[in-house]
Amino acid sequence: MVAQFVEQLINGLTLGMVYVLLAAGLSVIFGVMDVINFSHGELFALGAYFALSIIAPLGSGIGFWVALLAAPLIVGVIGAGIERVTIRPLYGRNPLYHILLTFGLVLIINDLIKLVWGTEQQQLVVPDYLTQSISVFSIQLSLYNYFIIGFAGVLAVGTWLLLNRTKYGMIIRAGSQDRQMVRNVGIDIDRYYTLVFGFGAALAAVAGIVLGGYQSVSTGMGNSVIIPAFVVVVLGGLGSFRGAVFGGLLVGVVQTMMRVYNGTTLFELGGFALTIPNLQGLTVFLLMIGVLLVKPQGLFGTRGDESEGGEGEILVGSSGGLLTDSTRTKLGILFIAAMIVLPILLLFTGSRYYVLVMNNILIWAIFALSLDVVMGYAGLVPLGHTMFYGVGAYTSALVMLHFTSSFVVAIAAAILICAVIAWIVGSLSIRVSGVYFAMITLAFAELFYNAVFRLGFTGGSDGLLGFEPTMGIAGLGVPLSEISFAFMGYEIEQQIIFYYIGLLLAVLAFLFARRVMNAPFGSVIQSIRESEERAEFVGYNTVKYKRRAFVISGGIAGLAGGLLAASPTTFVISPDQTLAWIHSGEVIVIALLGGMGTLFGPMLGAGAFFGAEEILSQYTEQWRMIIGIIFVLFVIYVPRGLVSVPSLVVQRFDRFGEGGKPGIGIDESEVQSDD
Amino acid sequence: MATAGAAGALGLAGCSGGSTGGTTTITVGSVNPMSGPYSSLGPNQRRGAELAVSQINANSDYDFEFELVTGDSETEARAAQDEVQRLVQQEGADFIVGAISSSVALGINEIANSSEFVYFSGGAAVPITGSACNPWVFRFETNTAMIAEAISAYSVNELGTNVWFHYADYAYGQSVYQRVSQRMANANGEYNETGVSTSQLGASNYGSYVSQVSNSDADIVVLGMTGGDLVSFTNQAADQGLTDDKIVIGPTQTFQSVLAGTGMNSVGTYGGVRYLPTLDTGDNQQFVDAYESEYDGSPGNFSRVGYDSLRLIAKGMNEAGSTEVDDVRDTLEGGTYETVLGDITLREEDRQATNPTWMGEIIDDSGSPAVELVNEVPAGETLPPASELGCN
Repeated sequence: MVAQFVEQLINGLTLGMVYVLLAAGLSVIFGVMDVINFSHGELFALGAYFALSIIAPLGSGIGFWVALLAAPLIVGVIGAGIERVTIRPLYGRNPLYHILLTFGLVLIINDLIKLVWGTEQQQLVVPDYLTQSISVFSIQLSLYNYFIIGFAGVLAVGTWLLLNRTKYGMIIRAGSQDRQMVRNVGIDIDRYYTLVFGFGAALAAVAGIVLGGYQSVSTGMGNSVIIPAFVVVVLGGLGSFRGAVFGGLLVGVVQTMMRVYNGTTLFELGGFALTIPNLQGLTVFLLMIGVLLVKPQGLFGTRGDESEGGEGEILVGSSGGLLTDSTRTKLGILFIAAMIVLPILLLFTGSRYYVLVMNNILIWAIFALSLDVVMGYAGLVPLGHTMFYGVGAYTSALVMLHFTSSFVVAIAAAILICAVIAWIVGSLSIRVSGVYFAMITLAFAELFYNAVFRLGFTGGSDGLLGFEPTMGIAGLGVPLSEISFAFMGYEIEQQIIFYYIGLLLAVLAFLFARRVMNAPFGSVIQSIRESEERAEFVGYNTVKYKRRAFVISGGIAGLAGGLLAASPTTFVISPDQTLAWIHSGEVIVIALLGGMGTLFGPMLGAGAFFGAEEILSQYTEQWRMIIGIIFVLFVIYVPRGLVSVPSLVVQRFDRFGEGGKPGIGIDESEVQSDD
Repeated sequence: MATAGAAGALGLAGCSGGSTGGTTTITVGSVNPMSGPYSSLGPNQRRGAELAVSQINANSDYDFEFELVTGDSETEARAAQDEVQRLVQQEGADFIVGAISSSVALGINEIANSSEFVYFSGGAAVPITGSACNPWVFRFETNTAMIAEAISAYSVNELGTNVWFHYADYAYGQSVYQRVSQRMANANGEYNETGVSTSQLGASNYGSYVSQVSNSDADIVVLGMTGGDLVSFTNQAADQGLTDDKIVIGPTQTFQSVLAGTGMNSVGTYGGVRYLPTLDTGDNQQFVDAYESEYDGSPGNFSRVGYDSLRLIAKGMNEAGSTEVDDVRDTLEGGTYETVLGDITLREEDRQATNPTWMGEIIDDSGSPAVELVNEVPAGETLPPASELGCN
């Protein structure tokens, strides 16, 4: 009994050390540089893949140790290069831009890995003597378990010593507290940051090698570790390396022990028994939410609540003074007219399939619009917005399956349920701000994703099938699939009908959002984005306003999800399709591409994104990499999005005489007059 | 649509359209996971399909030619749905093969039913030709019930009666647990379920599970997981000595992709076998030779699914004397054809191919893992009645 308990404890410690390994690199980079490095997972994978290439010619005996030394060095150099070229221009900006940039890097690095090493799963062969099973006092484990614990321990201690006991570490820590002051003292802090990023990347690579030997090496390995890594870093405290270590161990041990002993009765009192619940998978996210609500700085965090996003603000798109209001209105009407005629054109040219693409764009345009309300206007960056999209889709599908197939009811239910959930999630989430807000919304989204897998009525991993909307209500109406009539010799069927419905709803959603943002409510929201303190001093209850913005946003996102379920080309609603965290990232990228804070910008961004995907995927299998490169370029050079391109071009010509290049945003906010 | 053409001139009944003077070209689509979690498996399925197309086009027995159009399912439902509809609407495909993920495949089932094209599914979950069956969906892939049949009775009768189940908590894992435990209970009165544990899909650390199983009285542990999960579990189980202490059985343990990730750690484990390049059934050897000369390495299970799914369609067209999708569909249903697995019948009730299945043991073949067949369940004995599987 005791032996088994100890054995499981050591298993928990192993898992904990795995988390420590994962989180170490991320914590260093965030703690020191304020950069949220989403590409951490891919650097982790790169380490494992380089190790494979080193072990192949050398054999597993000596190859493993050489790889453990050499591969992190290579990845460290790559990391330093990435920092120099892409992240350096972004210092001082809102952490949102780091997230977006590193998100683009994920796409690039992942496709590169597939290109170079192929998509097959591979085995990272570890020397035989390391993987034997050994039995100590009837505790039977692998030597590799002890190796992981020991190695990670040494690594953690070494990193801590480096950060806290060396001159370089002191400079780096000083820089994380006050960069300007360090510069004033005469130290080129930027050079150190390159080293730190490289070091963080190397740590990620080491983790990849050690864990690659424990699990396996595949192109999806980076994706599977990034969320746990974030959880541990947040739990331990952003910026505290010691916290990351402690957080990792805590999560590992708690997760393991709770799982192994779930169902065990702890004690009984009267008729009430306290048993350990089986929360697998949910545990980490509940822990994360708990910590963020109670002590957002994390268990060991030392940062105050200054994290409203660092020094930078969110750069909203604006066509500046280029277009007058009436011109813009006329352009808008022209655009809508073009959209109305588009399906007919597509029919005439025999490209009926593209109506399907347009339907996807319309759905995502509404989704992106919802994000703009909360991000571009209120200045809150949620990393879990896909939860509303997903809940909206599931709600609609469930209504159509179990209650009524009425389109109206299904959509209304989706909007309503999402608004309610947004109210609850929003109330809890807006207690924290900046990075913590992003993380807590991510945790909620992951909770939903995991919950959907386990609940029976959501269809588990297979999802929901067999739902179909009826255009009508209360028994009066006709199923969407049966609507069909001829127009000028062409069949107008359900996909085209749906297109017009979607277009109508998109325009209505846009007008609604614009009405709200032009009202006093919108002004208050924007003032909260610009300076929450000031808005509070003036007397506004900022919490209430932020929550309302969140509810509006959630409702609109629910509309998008409901439309997805009602779409004639959607046959399945599954968790990966609607609730996977990557969709939260995609919608943020789309909003940036188009131009935040304009409402129509993100909608254009949806068109640009899906259009680019459609076109690029016909020419190359590495289209994700190209889209990633486009993102990275946009984040650095066109942060205000597509809608700002006209004014950027004009500016470039205006400044031609002065010989300067267009500002990349930091000073622009003072120069440009947003109306 | 590309089905119209010279068919009339060549005497293929049921076709309309003018003559182009040459052979009819039928557009067939292959949707495979080329990215996403199953990206290591999709390319094999596609290669099988490509090989079939080139063989069919070169074969004078067929009066038609196939034009293959492909799509990437991204192992994800939305992308797969969009791709299938692109292949059907934009490229004019009337016949679709592919998919590996069951949730992707189930989505395509629905599209096939509503758009009325023939779909040969590559997913293994029973509902594809079970509770979610429809007249347009056929399957040459071996489903999980058939694999359960191959491993259950043999294991409980020959290897041990105390069984621990560990599965990943999603549709596939749950179905493995349900089917195998049921079959084992039916096969041997002394069967005893020692314990059950579940992990999350995508988990990568199984140390505590391995310890649990190790400390139990089980003789056998059955794993309801596949892909990366199975690889990680096997590697960690081997490291901790579980593969020596207990008999580890995984329905997909023998897969090429799993062996690639586990290497010698798999030696001593058992698994269900859907296909092996060493099989001497049907015309497998010509397939293996053709595949090896065309591509690097031997064909695996997914390659043969892509390959024979298309060949079955071609054979159906030949037998129907028509390339019209309705005629082909009617002919294929209930038909018996030669494949790389020998003669199989696409059952009339649920259109599932009556493939044989085997149980295999992983052995050490001079430093590399290899599969040795230990038990066979012949074609026709692997499937319970369709109604039992949910297809009415």
